[in-house]
Amino acid sequence: MTNITRRTLLKAGAALGTVGALGGHHASAQEMGPYERQLYEAAKKEGQVTWYSGQLSAEPGEAVGQAFAERYPGLKANVIRSTSQVAFQRLSQDLRARTPQCDILSSTDSGHYSFLKREGLLMKFRPKNADGMIEAARRGDPDDTFQICYFGLYLMGYNTQKVSAADAPKSWTDLLDPKWKDQIAIGHPGYSGAIGIWALMMKQMYGADYLKKLERNKPQIGRSSMDPVTLMNGGERAIGIAIPSATTLLSMSRGNPLKLIYPTDGTVATPAPTAIIANAPHPNAAKLFMEFATGPEYSRVITRFFNESLRPEVPPPVGGRPLNEIKLIMPTMAEAEKGVPEMREVWRDVFGV
Amino acid sequence: MTDTTAPGAAARTASLAARLRNVEPATLLWVALAAVLLVLVAYPLGKLLVVSFETRGTGAFTVDNYLTAYGRARYVEALVHSLELGALAAAIATVLAVPMAWAVSRTDMPGKWVVWIAVLGAFILPPFLAAIGWILLAGPNAGFINQVWRWATGASAPLVNVYTFPGLAAVIALHSFPLVFIFVKSALDLVSSEMEDAANILGAGTWSATRRITLPLVLPAIVGGTIVVFLETIALFGTPAIIGIPARINVVTTQLWQFFEYPVRVEVASAYAMPLLGITVVMIIAQRLLLARKGFVSQTGKGGERRPIRLGPWRWVVFAWCALVGLLAVALPMLVLVQASFAKGWGRGFSFDNLTLSNYEYLLFRHEMAIQSIWNTLLFSSLAATFAAALALLVAYIAGRRLVPFSGALGFLAMAPFVIPGIVMAIGFYAAYAAPPLALYGTSIIIVLAFTARFLPIAYANSTAAIRSVHPEMEEAARILGSGRLRTIARITAPLIRKSLLGGWLLVFIVSARELSSAVFLVGPKTLTMAVLIYDLSEAGNFEVVAALGGLMLVITLALVAVGTRLVGRDFMLRRE
Repeated sequence: MTNITRRTLLKAGAALGTVGALGGHHASAQEMGPYERQLYEAAKKEGQVTWYSGQLSAEPGEAVGQAFAERYPGLKANVIRSTSQVAFQRLSQDLRARTPQCDILSSTDSGHYSFLKREGLLMKFRPKNADGMIEAARRGDPDDTFQICYFGLYLMGYNTQKVSAADAPKSWTDLLDPKWKDQIAIGHPGYSGAIGIWALMMKQMYGADYLKKLERNKPQIGRSSMDPVTLMNGGERAIGIAIPSATTLLSMSRGNPLKLIYPTDGTVATPAPTAIIANAPHPNAAKLFMEFATGPEYSRVITRFFNESLRPEVPPPVGGRPLNEIKLIMPTMAEAEKGVPEMREVWRDVFGV
Repeated sequence: MTDTTAPGAAARTASLAARLRNVEPATLLWVALAAVLLVLVAYPLGKLLVVSFETRGTGAFTVDNYLTAYGRARYVEALVHSLELGALAAAIATVLAVPMAWAVSRTDMPGKWVVWIAVLGAFILPPFLAAIGWILLAGPNAGFINQVWRWATGASAPLVNVYTFPGLAAVIALHSFPLVFIFVKSALDLVSSEMEDAANILGAGTWSATRRITLPLVLPAIVGGTIVVFLETIALFGTPAIIGIPARINVVTTQLWQFFEYPVRVEVASAYAMPLLGITVVMIIAQRLLLARKGFVSQTGKGGERRPIRLGPWRWVVFAWCALVGLLAVALPMLVLVQASFAKGWGRGFSFDNLTLSNYEYLLFRHEMAIQSIWNTLLFSSLAATFAAALALLVAYIAGRRLVPFSGALGFLAMAPFVIPGIVMAIGFYAAYAAPPLALYGTSIIIVLAFTARFLPIAYANSTAAIRSVHPEMEEAARILGSGRLRTIARITAPLIRKSLLGGWLLVFIVSARELSSAVFLVGPKTLTMAVLIYDLSEAGNFEVVAALGGLMLVITLALVAVGTRLVGRDFMLRRE
């Protein structure tokens, strides 16, 4: 947890309001610049790009894949959506078998990238579009091995038919109140990267005992961080914690009786990287995809599904609070790389799964 | 074939050609089949064993993997959980199935077709879909059964909770009871009424004759079926992953999955899988010994009269039991799955404004991988079924006709995968073939090979039974008229057993199409199957879309079952062998 990142983020939030033609390359579907066209031509020979994605949920993920294929006819994006740890597990299986399958990895566990970078498993590439992104996302990695393409907010929500606004928990510590026994749902850090980050933040703020105390309330454990949202929709559980704001807002927009809670002790933010794997089987298509993911079209698609915009010219999603009004908390990448695997073990000892 | 190293190239070629001309084609075939079976079965298993003693990276000998695999209380607990779960599921399945088998085989119970539908339906419904169905039915708060219960009684506590140990065991039992049913029913079919008559003459009523005479006679079959359910349960991956995590139950298969988290510890996973393999082998041997006991008069094949027992009014009680099992195992889960697949939100129940086609529309038109996974599933399953059927036919023929020495060894290899849990086999295939030089990871080949190997025993048992039904004299007639061995198989034997072969083909196709545990470690981005995609989608708990994909899978399966029933006959899926 560092103040510097938080300040950077707040600036980022402010930047969201301003519309700026910041330098860089703004190619539209009709006219491609020579650079983009050249990359496109090279990519077309490869025909496809395989994207292991643990950040966006299945529906926006597919929409991004479709938008990419529409903008670049002749190219196809294989969107392999899973939880981040499962995506990383599959990548590890590829690497272990020395049979490259994956071009692009998008994970909510930033620790994955410090590891991959150190092992020389990431391709160095700076998308030209990155210069036009919001400030906080502009330089994810000084060495350009990865790029921030996802800004996840993980907070709490409740089913309004089961809990009143006055009763609803306000902070992460409120969840330890015995009155929430058998009411809470959460994902699993062995699957979701974001839950690992969340658990790490809880440990940093409230000590290792936080999870043990939470266990007294017997939260229902799923796999993905999004799982509690569907549990709340169905009324199976009243409160979902460490849930992504985007999935919840999308669900609310479809008429489900949910409401978001921005915890007073901090919303967990995961500025999450996307990177090209060093031995990517489709390197040019991968580069083109990185340009796409840092460009405005991608932000336009994902904000339709209530994800945060990464471009100043694309307005933030409706319904959520602006970033500069929220208290954000996050670990550093080094903390994440060391802490998340540790928290996975702690979690399994505390909860038994 | 080993002593063809005569000096002189020309002489060698001549002698080889001469020898080959005289070699019985069956011998060559034997060699070829042995090679195929080594690739499919022996090598992955051997590799698994070797890897479990290797150090990661260097390959040096070590026992550390075993120490790591069993060095933590949590890992050992998972093994204990698996055994407990297997025992409980097997016990429940036996309680469910034995009365049904008895009712169908021995009594005048009405509506026996209900049992057949229940048994067939439970077989068709993939285990992980049944698990999701039961989450929708018996979720402690929103499950339909609990909603009805609260509405009817005003109680606040749930009636049933799927996220418990007994809940998990019951869900598993409800889709695996057909295994006990089939074993027990075919044993009961052989028991003649005379023995019950003797008991009746000596003063025993129907119940005590059944309890003291009939059931003890078929006890080996009951225990045999129970063992199979036990083994199925401890090898199951999907259901424990979907229900077990919220229920806080870690089992061997979900623990094996954890060893595949980064860093992929194939070595530790192999070591951890060994007890599972050992238990399975021991149990299968025990089951074989039990079923091979010949001490029962009922199995002399001397015929004897068989009359259905008249149950009087009790026949409705027995029918109610069968109908209840059918309801719980098939009708209710299928109903809620279909409802969810057409629902905006499954928890909102049956209402007009909750209806939508968008789940199917999303999968069919906006989800690139869903379509791809359907094609992949159809392709892999039909290839695996074809290879398994062809391989099984040839092996069964050679073994059945004892054409060459050691033909029994081929049969043994073909049956061996029966004792290998799917997830263990996948780890073996990963260890053996994923990495270069073969680099099969992520290709269709590795999945087709794994499916072929995994379901070879089904095809083999099917072919063996079929071959036994053809008397060799017809083949001998063809041979006397100058036909070669292979030509005889192609022109005489195969057409005679075509129906059985087709039945075996369909059976392998259906089980391959829903196979999860051996696919989950072997699929790559381009080889995703429907089962794995359903598993991926279920992570986020989006049950409406999951149910829709499951619905598509069921439509495909039902279409094939319909074809099979029409071409082969109603019981093609339920034969014991």
